[in-house]
Amino acid sequence: MSTTAVKGGSRTGAGRPPGGSPVRAGRPHAAWALPGVLFFAFFAIAPMALAFYLSFTKWNGLGDPQPVGLANWQKLLSDDRLTQSLTVTVLLTVVSWAFQTVVSLLLGVWAAGRQKNRAILSAIFFVPFLLSSTAISLLFYALLDPNFGIIRGDTLGSTNGAFLAIVFVGGWQFIPFHTLIYQGGARQIPEVLYQAAAIDGAGRLRQFFSITLPQLRNTAATSSVLMVVGSLTYFETVLILTQGGPGTDTAILPYLMYEAGFKSYDFGYASAIASFLVVVATALSLLMVKLSGFGAMRSTREGM
Amino acid sequence: MESTTSNGGRTFSRRWVLGAGATTVLTAGLSACGSSGGTGSGGGGTITAFVYGDDAVKVQVKAVSRFNASAAAKKAKGKVKIEKVPGAEYPAKLRTAMGSPNAPDVFFNWGGGSIKAYKDADQLVDLTDTITSDPVLKDGFLPAVLAAGGLSGHNYGIPMRGMQPVILFYNKTLFAEHKLTPPTTWAQLLDINAKLKKAKITPFALGGADIWPELMWLEYLVDRIGGPKVFDRIKNGDASGWGDPAVLKAAETVKQLIDDGAFGKGYSSVAYTNGGAPAVFAKGKAAMHLMGSWEYSTQLGKFPDFAKKDLGWCAFPSFDGGAGDIRNVVGNPTNYWSINARTSNKDAALAFLRDCASEQYAKDLIANGDIPATANAEKLLDASPNPEFAKFQYEMVQQAPAFTLSWDQAVDPNVSTPMLTEINKLFVGKSSPSQFVSALKGLK
Amino acid sequence: MSHDTLPRPVKTAEAPAGQPARRRTHWTRRANPLAGISSAIWLVIVIVPVYAMISASLTKQDEALGSNALKPPSDPTLDNYNTVLHNGFDHFLWNTIVVAAAVVAIVLVLCVPLAYVAVRTRNIWSTSAFRMFLMGVAIPAQAVVVPLYLMIAKLNLYDSLLAIILPTAAFAMPVSVLVLTGTLRDISEEMYEAMALDGASTTRMLFQLVIPMTKGGISTVVIYAALQAWNGFLFPLIFTQSDGPRVLTLGLFNYVSQFGVNIPALLASVVLSGIPIFAVYLVARRALVGGLMGVGGK
Repeated sequence: MSTTAVKGGSRTGAGRPPGGSPVRAGRPHAAWALPGVLFFAFFAIAPMALAFYLSFTKWNGLGDPQPVGLANWQKLLSDDRLTQSLTVTVLLTVVSWAFQTVVSLLLGVWAAGRQKNRAILSAIFFVPFLLSSTAISLLFYALLDPNFGIIRGDTLGSTNGAFLAIVFVGGWQFIPFHTLIYQGGARQIPEVLYQAAAIDGAGRLRQFFSITLPQLRNTAATSSVLMVVGSLTYFETVLILTQGGPGTDTAILPYLMYEAGFKSYDFGYASAIASFLVVVATALSLLMVKLSGFGAMRSTREGM
Repeated sequence: MESTTSNGGRTFSRRWVLGAGATTVLTAGLSACGSSGGTGSGGGGTITAFVYGDDAVKVQVKAVSRFNASAAAKKAKGKVKIEKVPGAEYPAKLRTAMGSPNAPDVFFNWGGGSIKAYKDADQLVDLTDTITSDPVLKDGFLPAVLAAGGLSGHNYGIPMRGMQPVILFYNKTLFAEHKLTPPTTWAQLLDINAKLKKAKITPFALGGADIWPELMWLEYLVDRIGGPKVFDRIKNGDASGWGDPAVLKAAETVKQLIDDGAFGKGYSSVAYTNGGAPAVFAKGKAAMHLMGSWEYSTQLGKFPDFAKKDLGWCAFPSFDGGAGDIRNVVGNPTNYWSINARTSNKDAALAFLRDCASEQYAKDLIANGDIPATANAEKLLDASPNPEFAKFQYEMVQQAPAFTLSWDQAVDPNVSTPMLTEINKLFVGKSSPSQFVSALKGLK
Repeated sequence: MSHDTLPRPVKTAEAPAGQPARRRTHWTRRANPLAGISSAIWLVIVIVPVYAMISASLTKQDEALGSNALKPPSDPTLDNYNTVLHNGFDHFLWNTIVVAAAVVAIVLVLCVPLAYVAVRTRNIWSTSAFRMFLMGVAIPAQAVVVPLYLMIAKLNLYDSLLAIILPTAAFAMPVSVLVLTGTLRDISEEMYEAMALDGASTTRMLFQLVIPMTKGGISTVVIYAALQAWNGFLFPLIFTQSDGPRVLTLGLFNYVSQFGVNIPALLASVVLSGIPIFAVYLVARRALVGGLMGVGGK
């Protein structure tokens, strides 16, 4: 039925074909996942656990870590810079998400079209993502130079200017990646839906809002989780463009952590910030997954 | 034909697999906790040297080949392997390596606070006695520079690069045009400031985005106002030293300069490291630039015409009523080689370091445009690309009653990081001079 | 109804997947002026900095930052490229290629089965595994680099390419798992059923159904993992030291001194190192487009 399809997938339950018990085929034993899980546990989880242990010690990189109990955590919770850092981080995440999602979505849907020029243009649009963060930040650093850059005026020296510069540069670099994700998602939307809607007399705009957007729900979830969590760990741009400045106005949490670890060599405190960051980010992504229904692994194309 | 169900043919229990996995992870974690001491560099007496990987490295590379072919290397039964560590990350990389089995035997540093942590962890070879008993080392270097590579009266480093005092550069042509002469007193400087602003020229170029150019202003002001002993106190760990009235006065002077427009607008977005500030200076947008001596070679590389025709230099002026001598210098005395206490071949390391006092090494440095901190350098300076500038610098350091190490290298890293942040806040106006002082006093 | 003015009526159940391109009327109709203008704006936004970068890489040092960034060089030179190429570029390039290939291989081999389990097996283990990778996205590399360093030293891997490859692959896994589960879940139940009726085992389904149907996701993962390896800086910095296992990103720092950056040379190096990865992108993109043509039309 075209109307049901337009509303973006029926809700007949996870993986349940009409009128039957769940297919037993293609359900790999959990052991298939084991090599990946072990590898990741060894190289990522174990070091993170060690870092967590370090957060209860005082260590400057030399000699042995000295256990200090909760000292680092107490310092973290009473640090004035933490509140400012948290606020900036949240603000940056939200604004970046809005900017990047809107642009990536529009570009992804546009790129999914079959016109030849779109293929060439998409290739050009992707170039920013190929460059390293360091290179991009150095480039924009020069472009924003008040005396010789493209934008005269004290961009990086003002709080708002610095903030917007970070949002923009981050977007410039990562929008291509998310465009790719949305493009993939848009390409997978079956024609059927659009054709049926066209028969029903729906215009372009209506098609976009009633078909494209809902069908992109899972794609949006993937992309958003990546964006949100990614911007929490993403700080090279801040490091090069603003060094957390002016003053400390753009010192996001990851920057605070880097400063503590690699500038002050206070690895205990840096590990405390890192552990805090991981907990917050994981909680956030779990929440997003739950809210968007991503975790139920349902297809947007059920009932077809 | 394989089973069609997913549960067919398992002979081991899930629990076993997971148990094995967990054990592996735990063991790896626990075994990583105890790090062994000693250096892990190549066998047979070869020692590793970490050096800051930039353009100037070529002098050290030459020295290494010279050493490896020399009789001294044979005698000490060791060769040197040089490792160039990428620039800005050098301190972090060094710190990580020193805490691990792969620590270098010899490493580049800035003296002062940059090696304090290693000294506290007993990872440095104390060179004091070696130097006093070896005439080559004892008389080979300028005493003030040699001393600056040490801590609390002991020597830990041998000078191995050029001297880097901070100098006040100015545009000779612009000065002549506006009938100005280089300032020797603060009053003169303020006067020049006013005249330049009337002519719509920014008085001083400033790479505020990097923060350390701003630091230079405070370093000189505190020295000129209160004398070198003010910072000496702070350097030795006394945080209340920030409360000295000279610090407050310096901060207030800085604020006054900013309010007077001495640095123009937008200086906090201009960097030195990407060539922004040198360009402002070279293009005549600003008439003066307080910068380390490397500004000369930077200008020579980027704007050779400017460097040859318009670039002038002088000492930082004295402050009216201040306790500091106009001959005092701030900056980086030089860079040093230090030896890791756990080195596998101390003789080879020492023999290598001895080469830094040699005439050949000094000649190589001079050819590269640097001014060696060696006693024999003076007579070799004529071979420098700009003998006039070379002699000025050399005499400046030689006659300096005091040479204060850059603050961010002199103090412990966990003080210098917040200190730089506070300086940044002062210069962008987010912190008043008194707030600045109290924030610094709170640093330990 | 005339076939000229309306989209063709759908032949739902009978239409085989991957039917050759009929006139995609609705896509063409969606070519609207608003999209055209927006994409033109974005084109400018992308091209201007890239142009500035290429232009600067062709400039002499003394011109680089002293004039308007947008002016083309008055005296273009290939000096910077020469400097870069004579500074060990080919060796660094080879190392980087090896690292990228190894990382992509490891990521694919480990993550595809993982995603397969996460989407198809609905038990406590698969859910926990998925959650673990969700958490993994949040782990900042800077936080674990020191513990990782100690582990790598213990394993005697320090200063080798493996020391870069293994952690980089591990940190590329969370995003890869997320992307793959995203695309995998859209393979409908009926397809598995159909294959089951054919007597296919789980393994056969993986190779004959899952992998072909997720070509788009796999291409995305290939590009992502390759880029992580290509542009990775922190791990190579801390886990290697000598010239032997040096990669391109570290080679960039030949142009940075204690006191300043040789911007033209640095940008020349960036441009040169961007070319191979752009080639990888073009190849993977074709797979991305091709793989997605076959979906839908049920």
